[in-house]
Amino acid sequence: MREVFFYLFAFLSVAFAVISVTHKNVIKGGLALLSSFIALGAVYFTAGAEFIGIVQVIVYGGAIVVLYLFALMTMDLKSFGKEPLRALSLAVGGAVSLVLFVSVLYAGYRFYGGSLTAGISGAKEIALPLFYRFLLPFEVISVLLLVATVGAVAVGRREE
Amino acid sequence: MTPFDFFVLSGLLFAVGLFGVIVRRNVISLFFSLELLLNSANVLLVGFSKLHGNLFGEVFVFFVLAVAAAEAAVGLAIVVALYRYRKSVNTEDFSLLRW
Repeated sequence: MREVFFYLFAFLSVAFAVISVTHKNVIKGGLALLSSFIALGAVYFTAGAEFIGIVQVIVYGGAIVVLYLFALMTMDLKSFGKEPLRALSLAVGGAVSLVLFVSVLYAGYRFYGGSLTAGISGAKEIALPLFYRFLLPFEVISVLLLVATVGAVAVGRREE
Repeated sequence: MTPFDFFVLSGLLFAVGLFGVIVRRNVISLFFSLELLLNSANVLLVGFSKLHGNLFGEVFVFFVLAVAAAEAAVGLAIVVALYRYRKSVNTEDFSLLRW
């Protein structure tokens, strides 16, 4: 059963990612990105990474994409204009991403047929390494978030 | 569900995101593609965490999430400020410093 849901949600997340990248309308692209992130959270659930799945849905779906959509509301969508498709950039983009995809598959080929641990990692299991071994990075990340918040307000405020 | 499936999913997401970064001209769409790139790395970190049986990969995903939130906040502030000056989010209108 886990396998079926893993493949289903993996397919959904890739399909919505393709829609979000290629759609002309930015709002619809953002909603497709939201769906892609939620499907990815479900993929983490099927892999047993419970806490990461929840955090993925809350942070990516609830905070980041909503932040993008709020910023889009302050802009005039009609002023965005057309994006002409250039054959050169399409060819370069397709070729580079294809090469990268093949190289990722090549790097992962030696893990073909291996097996994963079946354990479920909830908040309790994550807390142990997070608050003992990685306590200093955790504190540094909190300072980074504070700096980013102050910086975003400083950059975004109107000049008098 | 083998480790290789995580490689396929991560590679597909990374390819889609990189395609978007190269092809799109809208700054907001570029941000969407960047988030996809970060997510593809997260998928692989979770896969390796489950492969090796320890949780260090998932802790790192937690840190990546925090950095992605900071990046989204600062990046959006810059885009909104630029939009106020130029009334545009197209990267081709931001070519003032181009050689």
